[in-house]
Amino acid sequence: MLTLQKLLTIRNGPGAAILPPDVTRIHMEFAMRMNDGHMGPRKFWRDNLPRLKFWNPAVPMIVNRVKDQSGPATMSIYIRDADADADADANTDVPLSTPTPNSSTTGHSTAPPPAKGERVEVISMKDMHSDTILASLISKTKAVPVLPTPQEQIQMEELENLRQQADVDRARVWKRVEAAKKEAAMMAAARDEAASLKAAM
Amino acid sequence: MASTTQCLASLARLSLRAPARPMAISTIPNFLLPSVATPLVRYASKKSSGGNNNMRKRVVKKKKAYKTFRSYDMTNMDQYSLCDAMRYLRAFEVGSPPTSVKYEVAVKLKTQKNGPVLRNRIRLPFPVKTDTRIAVICPEDSPLALEAQQLGAVAVGEESLFEAIRQGNIQFNKLICHKESEAALKKANVGKLLGPKGLMPSAKTKTLTTDLKGTMQEMIGADEFRERNGVVRLAIGQLGFTPQMLSDNLKAFMGQVKTDMNQIDDSHVKLLDEVVLSSTSGPGFSLNGKFNPSGESLEIGDLESVM
Repeated sequence: MLTLQKLLTIRNGPGAAILPPDVTRIHMEFAMRMNDGHMGPRKFWRDNLPRLKFWNPAVPMIVNRVKDQSGPATMSIYIRDADADADADANTDVPLSTPTPNSSTTGHSTAPPPAKGERVEVISMKDMHSDTILASLISKTKAVPVLPTPQEQIQMEELENLRQQADVDRARVWKRVEAAKKEAAMMAAARDEAASLKAAM
Repeated sequence: MASTTQCLASLARLSLRAPARPMAISTIPNFLLPSVATPLVRYASKKSSGGNNNMRKRVVKKKKAYKTFRSYDMTNMDQYSLCDAMRYLRAFEVGSPPTSVKYEVAVKLKTQKNGPVLRNRIRLPFPVKTDTRIAVICPEDSPLALEAQQLGAVAVGEESLFEAIRQGNIQFNKLICHKESEAALKKANVGKLLGPKGLMPSAKTKTLTTDLKGTMQEMIGADEFRERNGVVRLAIGQLGFTPQMLSDNLKAFMGQVKTDMNQIDDSHVKLLDEVVLSSTSGPGFSLNGKFNPSGESLEIGDLESVM
């Protein structure tokens, strides 16, 4: 049941969206810790990026985390333009493809320069809430959010019912445990009192 | 009507009984008094010969001792093909460095709790360990460079690598040079930097080579696995591996496990129960032995992109 829940939540929820095919790669760069406005990017990476990656398995999503807390937090979205050929003739020194680095925790995977026919949309994520980051990503890429199928809807409802029932059960058990604890405490106090009385006699 | 008379008699005794001596009137309720102060009324019982015999003896049910590890009914189990499981795991591990995050496999066996266990070493086709970080000097963007990268080299190239070494940015602890790049290495003049660290490639240390795969695998060595509580676990791949690489590793490992199972004597039969693929911080996926993705929304090539 738990695995099912985990898989349901990675398929559905905020971030579950299909990117159009012209989005070639996404690069994120932010600091290791949350201080100085890096909480939003961190949360986006933890909560929303897995869903985006699930629905777009072919799109490289690179996270480069740096030690410097005061640095910027940027997201670069690489989009291949439809009219790439026209631009390509204009500047020939731009390479056809630039290597995409691996994700890194040492800050070495900086954003690659755009390849021929690619343009880069940059979102400055500093001090942004993860929801805002997601909204601007979706508006810039025109990604289509994925809605749960009727079957998944039923499964989610079942899980939600289970959760609610768990709340009810938890309250009931808590009440019983509290009563037992209270009685035990009363008995202990009385026993102490009796013992002191006996000692005084 | 023996029971009625007995009952009446006990009732009569209750009503007639006078306290042995008048009780001290106290403000403390009766039930709160220490047990010594309350007069004990004892009735004859069958076992009256001292000790705590009025405590009923609790019968502790002895648990059934199973000789084999528990194995579950797998008919209703969701099982996944390798590519489907990889899609989920890559999503769960998004944004983590692909060389330090591993795919892990747990092979559950139908086996007795006692007796011999599986224990062996295996050299996987694509090595997993990352504490040996190998850099390869070979022509930039050549098929050799691609091969080295797929084999798990942390840095590949010629001039870019020399430049990194000159700047002191050495992220590897083993350095291999392909014969094709020997001239470039000599020209680069990095011997003074690499020599004291023992990294300078030379034919004597077998780090000047034409066989990248063999040399790299020799450097990395073999992985050890053993059965614990009826399960054999092993890190089977790095997150950056392609489905084909992971499949090759998995096949090699399963082949080794099967031959080891067959070598154990007939009195201790071991059978395969379940194969579960997980990752460093992802959930476990029971594999169904298939390779290709089940839906049309996923292609194998999708899982080969950079993580």
